[in-house]
Amino acid sequence: MLELLAVVLAESVKSVIEKPSFLIGLPLLGLGAIGVLIALSPIELRWPERPKDLAAEIMPPPPGQPTAQVYIQVGAILAAITALEVAIYYLNIVQGILIAALLALSALKFVLVLLWFMHLRFDTKLFTVLFSGALLGVIALFMVVLVTLGSNFV
Amino acid sequence: MATVATHQDAHSGPLDNRKLLMWLFLASECLFFGGLIGTYLLYRDRSTDIDGPFAHDTTINGIHYTGIYDIPFTSVSAFVLLMSSVSMVLALAAIQRNDRRGLQVWLACTALLGLTFLAGQAFEFTVFVHEGLTLDENLFGTTFFVLTGFHGAHVSVGVLILLSLFVMAVQGKLTHKQSLNVELAGLYWHFVDVVWIVIFTLVYLIR
Repeated sequence: MLELLAVVLAESVKSVIEKPSFLIGLPLLGLGAIGVLIALSPIELRWPERPKDLAAEIMPPPPGQPTAQVYIQVGAILAAITALEVAIYYLNIVQGILIAALLALSALKFVLVLLWFMHLRFDTKLFTVLFSGALLGVIALFMVVLVTLGSNFV
Repeated sequence: MATVATHQDAHSGPLDNRKLLMWLFLASECLFFGGLIGTYLLYRDRSTDIDGPFAHDTTINGIHYTGIYDIPFTSVSAFVLLMSSVSMVLALAAIQRNDRRGLQVWLACTALLGLTFLAGQAFEFTVFVHEGLTLDENLFGTTFFVLTGFHGAHVSVGVLILLSLFVMAVQGKLTHKQSLNVELAGLYWHFVDVVWIVIFTLVYLIR
């Protein structure tokens, strides 16, 4: 019995050494397990006292800029769209509809990040013109290239 | 602060040259990643090695080949990077409100999420190499690794910038007056995120 256990352990160690993916994955799993143990432990973790210089007066957000709560709401919408994308991937639907739906959702996420997180909605229009100009240029250029050279994608 | 007085609108103050430069840089990066994504799409399913690994499940001459993409795993990676964008914008909101504690927490959180994404990418690359997909295996391998590798390199640079800002914040060298530094780092980080939004859809999800 002990011999069998020794063989199994030896094989496990060998497989870990032979596969670098385990070498990366196991420490991450270990870290996660430590986090779970700390979270479940009865020891009360106390956040360090806020030093006086850090407690300097907190100001309201600059005028015209969203609050942290709005950013979190946009983040929740982005997470929901990502979940929807993955769900659509597993649906057994017509390829054309699948591609159109995925591209539309991706574009929606792209625009949300640009407008809210990169502040194009609140900043000068010059940045919007610069970035969208480059974006439209690259899309047009590569559509021409992909059509000309006959990619399977278009 | 150097400013260009000609371009202003109701919502913003004077236009900062550094911010303008960052947007110009991001516009050029659009062309860079556009080239890499276009190349990937061009050579998709054109691998000369018919026995080589395929991205998605493929059937050729009645033989079924299992795709090597792990969609649930990559979805988690995409989610992690997306959430790092949320924490990045919260770091900016914190410094704009003069909340130094919040700035430190959210910068550290963003860097940690970025590192998690990179760890996931390293894991994915390792698995792919074990499955037989390498940089010089076939056209699919070359275009895939070059595209995602360059994106990973951009994330790595972003993590280094974030860690530098975090150290500056801890040392008290990053105050409310230097919020533009965090904003510029944020612009770069969000750009890296939007590039992944496109890669995730075009490379991983569309079969």
